[in-house]
Amino acid sequence: MHEAIRVETLTKKFGSATAVDSVSFTVPKGEFFGFLGPNGAGKTTTMRMLATLLRPTAGQAWVNGHEISRTPDKVRHSIGFAMQAVTLDPLATAWENLLLLGVLYGLARKEAHKRAAELLELMQLTKVAGAWIKNYSGGMRRRLDLAAVLMHKPDVLFLDEPTEGLDPAGRRVIWDYLEKLGKSDGVTIFLTTHYMDEADYLCDRIAIIDKGKLVVTESSEKLKEKVGGTMDDVFIHYTGHRIQDEELNTKAADPYAQIN
Amino acid sequence: MNTLFRETYYLFIRAFKQSLRPYVALVPEFVVPIFFFLINSAAFQRAVEIPGFSAESYLAFYAPVALLTAIFFTTGSTGIEVVTDISNGYMDRLFVAPVHRISIVLGKLLSVGARAAIQTIIMLIFLVIWGAPFVAGLEGVLMLLGLAFLFGMAWSGIGLTLAFLTKNPRIVQSSFIFFFPFSFVTTSQLPLDLLDGWYKQAVLLNPVTYILEAMRALMLRGYVSLTASTIDIGFVAAILFGLVTLTAAFFSFRLLSA
Repeated sequence: MHEAIRVETLTKKFGSATAVDSVSFTVPKGEFFGFLGPNGAGKTTTMRMLATLLRPTAGQAWVNGHEISRTPDKVRHSIGFAMQAVTLDPLATAWENLLLLGVLYGLARKEAHKRAAELLELMQLTKVAGAWIKNYSGGMRRRLDLAAVLMHKPDVLFLDEPTEGLDPAGRRVIWDYLEKLGKSDGVTIFLTTHYMDEADYLCDRIAIIDKGKLVVTESSEKLKEKVGGTMDDVFIHYTGHRIQDEELNTKAADPYAQIN
Repeated sequence: MNTLFRETYYLFIRAFKQSLRPYVALVPEFVVPIFFFLINSAAFQRAVEIPGFSAESYLAFYAPVALLTAIFFTTGSTGIEVVTDISNGYMDRLFVAPVHRISIVLGKLLSVGARAAIQTIIMLIFLVIWGAPFVAGLEGVLMLLGLAFLFGMAWSGIGLTLAFLTKNPRIVQSSFIFFFPFSFVTTSQLPLDLLDGWYKQAVLLNPVTYILEAMRALMLRGYVSLTASTIDIGFVAAILFGLVTLTAAFFSFRLLSA
């Protein structure tokens, strides 16, 4: 089994609207796979189906060899999912958040302690590990969220815009770690991002989805070669949108982003 | 350790801590029942002179209402806690973990029951210091805690159901309106023998009446042959009330997690 993810004609409808329309692709083990597209293209819906949070309307998908609808528990054991928003308990400390997730994933308490200490060190959060995370900066929360999904050493990592809202230094910390995870630890990474430089730098292959349909899957080098430009040009070529517009749309849709 | 038990245990600990935070939010849970108790026990102290009034003092008669009010206020925020978990994505974090879904609700319910029991103990100590009688002894304390545990879980079922169904904090917050009929249309102000008409019928239909009467019997007379059936009925009422509200909560949770 060399495939970490296999998706066959996966479809998701919400009422009469089709969010994901018969999408098929495969991701080999250890690959860093970018999944790009405009807002509402179906990126997050696809990811939520693969992470067993949404049931597909039609089609099938396997993650680590486990079919997502028939054996969701086996899928959950083998994946980590960093969602668009930081999904941690704000009124708990970093320690409490990590330890709980560790034991829920089946780690012994001692083992969870050791793993949490390692990850906190790696994410440079050891000094603030005892503070409630509602007092953390956005970047610290992001790093802790990533630590949380790595507690059980997943084979496949789903990252939904993991560096959104981070400053360049914060993004660099995440990039370096993700690169190490992919290259040294053999973790398969499925990433969505609005940063074209991020996709270009990190991803072995990139898929672009638009209006629920997969429009292209190729390495960033080949995509740039085909279009004859940068990754921004590739995005415009396949979707008809500028990625900068997508970023503006995202911020416009988020009332807190406007306040900040 | 069985995985369901292990998961439930750790989620219970998390839910228990969550219910205590932020600490300042605990203040109303103590202030409101104490306020009602002090005001009502002072305002209506001459009510005991009404022929047929069964208690020796209104303070003694009203003290169990303070326990009940404390449970209402302690467990009333459960729905809001769940809506917060849903809206900030924490529930998804739990759903994507390989845990038995039922352990998420069981952990929450056990924490609610535990909080209700602890709040009852604290309020009981305050009431006894203030002069309320408690004749039931240690066995009675345990029975009182059992009632508080069951009623706390049963009451939280309303907020949980609305939280799972609507995911809307305003709707869940507005479920507080149920507090008024369930709390006031009881024998909280006057004994049943002094009530009449439609109001008495409504009081008799309210399960909280029987829970309150059981608490009152424990505090004023203890578990003796004269009060045994009243106390037993209180337990049955708490269990039946819980069966209704928690069945609704589990059903709505299934819809959310499907």
